[in-house]
Amino acid sequence: MTLAVLDGGTFYHHDTIYGPRYRANFHRAIYVRELAPRDLDGISLLIVPDRINPDQLRAHHQLLIEFADAGNTLIVFGENEAETWLPGAVWASRPTNFWWWLEPGAKPPHRLVDPRHALFEAVRFEDTIWHFHGVLTPPAGARTLIDVPAEGDYPGGALLYEDTVTTRGRIIVATLDPFYHHGSGFMPATTRFLDSFLPWAKNQASSQVVPARDGAARKP
Amino acid sequence: MSALLFTFGYRDRAMGSFAEHPAAAGRIIRRDLYDFDDINLDDVSVLLFSMHADQRFLAARAGRIAEFVRNGGTVLANGHIAYPFLPDIGAYTPAPGQSLKHLRIRRVAEHAIWKGVNEDDLTFRRGVAGFYGRGGHQPPPGATVIHTVGQDAQPVDFIYRLGAGRVLIHGGNDLWQYGGGDSTALIAPQLIAWLFGDSI
Repeated sequence: MTLAVLDGGTFYHHDTIYGPRYRANFHRAIYVRELAPRDLDGISLLIVPDRINPDQLRAHHQLLIEFADAGNTLIVFGENEAETWLPGAVWASRPTNFWWWLEPGAKPPHRLVDPRHALFEAVRFEDTIWHFHGVLTPPAGARTLIDVPAEGDYPGGALLYEDTVTTRGRIIVATLDPFYHHGSGFMPATTRFLDSFLPWAKNQASSQVVPARDGAARKP
Repeated sequence: MSALLFTFGYRDRAMGSFAEHPAAAGRIIRRDLYDFDDINLDDVSVLLFSMHADQRFLAARAGRIAEFVRNGGTVLANGHIAYPFLPDIGAYTPAPGQSLKHLRIRRVAEHAIWKGVNEDDLTFRRGVAGFYGRGGHQPPPGATVIHTVGQDAQPVDFIYRLGAGRVLIHGGNDLWQYGGGDSTALIAPQLIAWLFGDSI
């Protein structure tokens, strides 16, 4: 079983997906405007990178949900207006402090809620920390992995969660936007994140049990 | 004549501020990029493409864009060019390092868009270098290079003529993002004057 990624056609999607650093992690890259059900045949894990045009995702949302509901893993990164097309996700904006790392002694508000999650055997929590634009309230029963507390009048919420209740598969949702920052050539934390996250995702894809079309589970 | 500023599915505050800039006097109109095929360009003088534009989509329309320029139009494209949607531009080459010697912006030609804009205000944002541009494109022969980055002098901003029109490439974050409490606040109004003026 294999890993696919959506391509939004921007230069940063191009650099991150087709550049030599990560290309071998993706078994298939699908231009989002051409996404068709047959593209997901044989795919067990689909990454929706950050800053894919949300109009396109809204147009294709049924296909994406059905993909997860077939027992697969859907990973959704940030700045995609996921709350407008992904069931159960609620978004609240927060003022973005792009510069927290310049403040002497500043401590980012990120909290590792679920350090036992298998993701963190591969990905260092420190490499998930950079600025954020808002927080998500996950659907009931979902598992928050990283969150930030409320601040003043602004609500707290999840920056990364895993939802295994809304569909028969798994949906991992992050507010993080590593494809944009890595592909633009700045913010080294985003490159460190992808360096560990993508091999983890590839490994997840290859070890995942995917339901056959008749509903019976089969090993890849 | 008006300018079309192409949006890409989600709101971008800097883009909104630029479209509504008083100097533009309502002449900058926002349109969804994917409406491009349905837009009559006869009454349009400028096309503005963000760094977030779907270049794969634009590359499939490169002929129409080039024809628009040859007929006297102006195109501003921001970001790195990954797909050939404009003629005669070489590949993007990132700066070879992240230190200041690789990231310092230098002005190599004076230009009305950047008149009075301090080079250091382009190089640094809150003391950090690299936001304005981190690499360059090989410009076409005859292009006017305005700014370079780093000791390799890679072209970040350049303008070239194509037929009766002109193309401005800014190989970094969208030009309309600049305008904080320093001299970069001059860029937006001066860019608008250039977009609707005749000079190169």
